[in-house]
Amino acid sequence: MIQIKNLTKRYGSHTVLENVSMDFSAGHVYGIVGENGVGKTTLFRCIAGLEHYDGDITSDAPPLKNHLGLLLTEPFFLPKMTGEEYIRLLCHARGIRIIDLAHSNLFDLPLHQYATTYSTGMKKKLAITAILLQENKYFILDEPFNGVDIQSNIVLAAVIHRLKALGKVVILSSHIFSTLRDTCDEIHLLRKGEAPKTVLRPDFGALEAEMKAAVVGDKLEHFNLK
Amino acid sequence: MTEHFSLQYRIANRKLAAAGVHPAVGYVLGLAVFVLVAELLFFKTPLAKYALLLAAVSVFLQWSDKNRTEFLRMTFGDATARRIRTAENLLLGLPFFLILVYHGAWAEAGLGVLGSVLLAQVSFQAPQHGVLPTPFRHRPFEFTVGFRTTFFMFPIAYTLTGIAVSVGNLNLGIFALLLVFLVTLTYYTKAEDVFFVWSYSCTPPQFLLGKLRTATWQAGLLAAPIVVGLLVFFPADWGFILTFLLIGYGFLWTMVLAKYAAYPREMNVPEGILFTLAIYFPPLLLALMPFFYYKSVKRLNTLLT
Repeated sequence: MIQIKNLTKRYGSHTVLENVSMDFSAGHVYGIVGENGVGKTTLFRCIAGLEHYDGDITSDAPPLKNHLGLLLTEPFFLPKMTGEEYIRLLCHARGIRIIDLAHSNLFDLPLHQYATTYSTGMKKKLAITAILLQENKYFILDEPFNGVDIQSNIVLAAVIHRLKALGKVVILSSHIFSTLRDTCDEIHLLRKGEAPKTVLRPDFGALEAEMKAAVVGDKLEHFNLK
Repeated sequence: MTEHFSLQYRIANRKLAAAGVHPAVGYVLGLAVFVLVAELLFFKTPLAKYALLLAAVSVFLQWSDKNRTEFLRMTFGDATARRIRTAENLLLGLPFFLILVYHGAWAEAGLGVLGSVLLAQVSFQAPQHGVLPTPFRHRPFEFTVGFRTTFFMFPIAYTLTGIAVSVGNLNLGIFALLLVFLVTLTYYTKAEDVFFVWSYSCTPPQFLLGKLRTATWQAGLLAAPIVVGLLVFFPADWGFILTFLLIGYGFLWTMVLAKYAAYPREMNVPEGILFTLAIYFPPLLLALMPFFYYKSVKRLNTLLT
């Protein structure tokens, strides 16, 4: 369980998140959606403890960060480090000893090559593999489906369902609504200057229609697309 | 060509300013540290001229990166790019050449100038799919990444040890040992992304002790052939050899702690000055280690707890 109470995050005079409160329960998958710049990544960084904030973020396994698998939108890789070494480094950081990586290569990555030579999608898959092997209790996946091929997206959706079955807390963001519809139990819509709106699975269709109307509106009519 | 150098100058100034140092002060201090270290080398060993020449060549090699050279060729054209690279190498090599000439090492200075011009005509790129194996893959990352960047230094150090043994010159062997430690110090000069520190589920003291343990073990592996060789062939001088091994470790441990004392920014002038002072007076390390340790714990607290 992760509980957020009255979370406020400001950068100077600019308020990104204001009085945000959310609960994330074990065995559930949560989607965080909102327009660019609404504070999704900031929210994730606050939960991870990478940002200072006002308010409370608590979990049933403190300290939260020690049990959190964090997938950043653009994972960072060190030069001259192989995929295997990246996995070993992140597992060692959590005290996990990996002996046989051959059976843990979920996405069939060339683990003996330098990770910096990987494509964008392969880098994301490597970062996902590493945080899965860390045996975390909580997962934050910022844009996990972005840049990843369709086959791997299928694997990833199956992984998220398995994490749910294992009683983990999974929080993810995605700009592709169908991926959220397929995996989430609840979606929190972040809005500028307003409290987040929580939508349960039966209402996902209505949410999608509402977002579509709000974002597209009659813009296409005026765009004069030929 | 002028635009290129003017841009490089502005970038260098920005980097110094970002490190909290006025550019003019940074250049003067950098030059002063270079002269002090070079003078110390000339004072300590007759091989200083070769060490400086080697250092100059390694700088030229760093700047001969293929991607960088290709960027210059695409931007300025082949002829201008060649002129830029030659001018860069001569400029970078100038402090080395001047100090070599000052110490009467005319031949080495001439070789340096020749090398700078020749190496400006070529570019190198590490193979994309070829991975250099290291003995450190089970405990990445400083030594795995560092070893792959500086691997060519170890055959040099081991060859020097062989020569030291064959001519019965212990000082040369000690120089080779310190060269290994000097190379490993460079593994800790760059600050990794905060994600890699944040990922650790331990307290700052546990994190630092883990880093020190890894550094000790992995540097030990690299230094072992030299230490064992010297102990076998100069058994009477075991105390002298182990003292220098300890000094090497002292610098390495201090470097690890200094890195995290500045984290997440990179080490800069204050740490550099303290380090230079320690080169002249190694017992200072005994004070620097606890100083950097407490600063590191403070810095890491925000990320790890």
